[in-house]
Amino acid sequence: MKKRYSLLGMMALLVLLSLIPLGMVQADGHCEFDDYIIRIGGLAPMSAPGAVAGGVAMDWAFNQAAADINADCGITIDGVHHQVEVITGDSEGSAERGQAVAERLILEDEVDAMVGVYHSAVGLSTMGIMEENGIPTVFSEPWNDNVSANGIREFDGAPPRFDDGIDHIFRISPASSMVGSAVVNWLLTVGVDDVILIVENTDYGQPAAADETARLEAAGVNVSKIDVELGTEDFVPILSRIQAQEAPDAIRILVTGETSFNLTQQMAELGIAPTEDTICVTNQIAFQSEQYWATVPDGNYCAFNRVGIIPSLFSDKAIELNNNYEAAFEDIVPSYAMASYDAVFIVKDAMERAGSYSDAAAIVEAIETVDIDLSQGRYYFDYGSHNPELPEGTPDFMWHQWPDPIVTVMQYFEQGQSSLEAAVVYPEVYQTHGTAYVVPGTSP
Amino acid sequence: MEADSSALLNWLMLAGPLWAALGMLLLPARNRRRPKPLKVPLATLQIAGLIAGFALGPLGIALFALVPRAIRRSTFIAGLLLTVFTVSQVLVRVGDPNLPTTLWLLLAGPLWAGIAAYLLPRRYRHQEADDQNVLTAAALGGFAIGPLIFGLLWQGTPKITRDWILTFGSLGAWQIYAVFALQNPDNPCVQAPFAVSYLTQQTANGIVIGCIYSLMAVGLTLIYSVQGIVSFAHGQLYMVGGYFSFYFLLYSGDVLSDITGMEVSINPVWGIPVSGFIVFIMGALFERSFLKPMHEGVIERASEYAILITFGFGFVIEYTTLALAGPFPQRAERFIELRRFTLPRVQVTEDFVFGPINIIGDRAFAMVVGVVLIFALLYFLQRTWTGRALRATSQDRQAAAVTGINPTNMNTLSFGLGSMLAAMSGAALIPIFAWVPWVGAEMVGRSYVIVVLGGLGSVPGALVGGIIVGIVEALGAGCHPDPSRGAAYKEAFALVIFALVLLLKPTGLFGREQH
Repeated sequence: MKKRYSLLGMMALLVLLSLIPLGMVQADGHCEFDDYIIRIGGLAPMSAPGAVAGGVAMDWAFNQAAADINADCGITIDGVHHQVEVITGDSEGSAERGQAVAERLILEDEVDAMVGVYHSAVGLSTMGIMEENGIPTVFSEPWNDNVSANGIREFDGAPPRFDDGIDHIFRISPASSMVGSAVVNWLLTVGVDDVILIVENTDYGQPAAADETARLEAAGVNVSKIDVELGTEDFVPILSRIQAQEAPDAIRILVTGETSFNLTQQMAELGIAPTEDTICVTNQIAFQSEQYWATVPDGNYCAFNRVGIIPSLFSDKAIELNNNYEAAFEDIVPSYAMASYDAVFIVKDAMERAGSYSDAAAIVEAIETVDIDLSQGRYYFDYGSHNPELPEGTPDFMWHQWPDPIVTVMQYFEQGQSSLEAAVVYPEVYQTHGTAYVVPGTSP
Repeated sequence: MEADSSALLNWLMLAGPLWAALGMLLLPARNRRRPKPLKVPLATLQIAGLIAGFALGPLGIALFALVPRAIRRSTFIAGLLLTVFTVSQVLVRVGDPNLPTTLWLLLAGPLWAGIAAYLLPRRYRHQEADDQNVLTAAALGGFAIGPLIFGLLWQGTPKITRDWILTFGSLGAWQIYAVFALQNPDNPCVQAPFAVSYLTQQTANGIVIGCIYSLMAVGLTLIYSVQGIVSFAHGQLYMVGGYFSFYFLLYSGDVLSDITGMEVSINPVWGIPVSGFIVFIMGALFERSFLKPMHEGVIERASEYAILITFGFGFVIEYTTLALAGPFPQRAERFIELRRFTLPRVQVTEDFVFGPINIIGDRAFAMVVGVVLIFALLYFLQRTWTGRALRATSQDRQAAAVTGINPTNMNTLSFGLGSMLAAMSGAALIPIFAWVPWVGAEMVGRSYVIVVLGGLGSVPGALVGGIIVGIVEALGAGCHPDPSRGAAYKEAFALVIFALVLLLKPTGLFGREQH
């Protein structure tokens, strides 16, 4: 008898649980939703060895975007409202895993579009799958130039790259070369002669280092490069080697995640950089000031590249997004979360203008001609099938590439400082403290 | 220094391998003709002839032949040092760095190591001689002195002692260094006199991190020695130990701040015993619940079960921590405010400056914690009844049970203690590294290398293995010919040593033979 009651209780609980989503749909009751839910696949690293903190932030942004879209009657196609759902797949930061997850999202979950991707290796390895299956895709964080440049390079300068005449891949994060040029120009502005690049052995680190090396050497700067593996914790032996040489003018860290925190802290603890002689340029993740100061307590006066709109220029949409992010994570919203949030909205906008959630050609055409203001600014694409000729001197990666990601160089100058108060030191037009570099021990 | 290729020829005529071979033959022959032959093993005379001939040529052989009392360990060491000095002088004077390298590869090095390692153990078995350590000695001897090793071991098949291995190992290590120096004259590890400071710095780096590695590995080896299983949850126990310490410090600091009305920060050293205690309980409960049935014979495939269940335990810990603590990196406050200890620069001579040597303050503190805990464990194992009971169980469970020791309790205790040591090592490192739920993955891989290197089940072996791995990684990264690749290959250097030890001494440095 007792067993029967507990079975009935379980069934009642299950019925109640199954009613919860219905209740939620009704809570959005000002819109009449169609039965078909538009599914968007989100690729993000949710477990190691990927940059999990980045993946969690991106996953949050996907879901926040879906929630905001659904609260505003979802995606409206020909007057019919469709709810949107973002299904996040865990790429683990690995190419193989990313491919498997992308295939699962496309073939099993039958997503209508894809967004996200943090690691370049995942972006490069999954592009072909999206192309083959005709899935419009907006990448929000991979930086490798080839993510967008391949659209042209693989087919002798004649886009599009596949037989069906459509290139489905877009990118709203900057290409490595765009970031590299900002950092290099800043280093040249402050007048360095010797630079050591410490670089992760990945599809992000190596091309980025090659690009920055070429730019620096072209300007007559002596560059040495040190490769490291992601996940390494102890850098003291190699830092001692640097310490044994004549102090370089700058050490540039092209390493992501907590590995960059360990490296920067150990560099500071050994007194290598930041010092009066040596500039420390660490990874963009330093913008997450809560995490940065928790793990790099000696990292004051380190500079870092910042991708995305600077806090003082935040629009209302960005401020709202930042507030929501702060409520969730007690930190400032990172650029990859903003870009991931915007990517979902770009897909929504394109589907609505295309009048379809399944006509990939029409959606791609709509993304190519997007013109919309979102949290990071105004989105548009200069080059695609709507404008296939890249002028002489325009790099290949500008194909299906958002041309306006803001790349700045920022620098902390007080212990425990919020990144909202850190100095923007480059480019000059965005400088917040009237200086291109705050020398350690001084204030701007 | 000017290149002088005739230096090599002169040395080859006046000393070197030719005279070494002659010395090996002449000294035993001379001894046999004495009215009162020296009562020393044949091998000792052969080694004496080898070293004397190599270092001083005919003069050295004549010295030992005429003054046999000089054949003793101190003169051997002096001869070895003289050989090293002479050969290094010769090699430095030889202009083409490839010539001595080629000569070494032909006359000694890996080729002869392989040949000797193949042939000599067979010879010993054929002669029915004691072949313990012969493989190691043959490989190292072939590497260090090439075919001369056959002259030493083939005929007499002498018993191989640790002295042989140390001598050939040192000689081989020096030769690698010499060849490396010739090939990479600009490397900071060979640039005299700067290399002395640099190598000291890198060795110090290696010892510091090695002691920290050891603490974690000791727990693993303790579990293996008593239970005969490898815990695949060890990395996660290390990780969760760090988190327990972090949150203990955070919340107890908050509580104390509320009580006192002042900002109170608790030193992370207090987190070490707290996290150790909590994880000891976790480990003991896990052992009682999931591993005990294995020892009771309830589980059919016990070893596979142990692997899977500890793997599963690790996954549960890691993903529960990820869910509760989040993926964002954490770090505890410093142990000590001093950012780094610096041994200041010392002007030894006009041309030679030693130092400065820098050690990060918190690392030095963690190293001390690690060493203290390892010695405390050794004291516990050697001097207390419970520790002896653990050792007895590890040696023979049934015999231990006969003497009144409860093996089931010892299993629980060993797993609890092993888990506790992993957790304490995590708590000692959370002020040093950015802490994330997957932080144990790298460390645990290294721990497996250390315990196998030191000898599975040996606590001193884990300590020595950890220090060796630390030093090898530090020197590997610091001395790699291509500075851009040194850091990337850091872990591979330890794996090379690991592979060599497995090849030459499968039981590890301090391991027991399984009978």
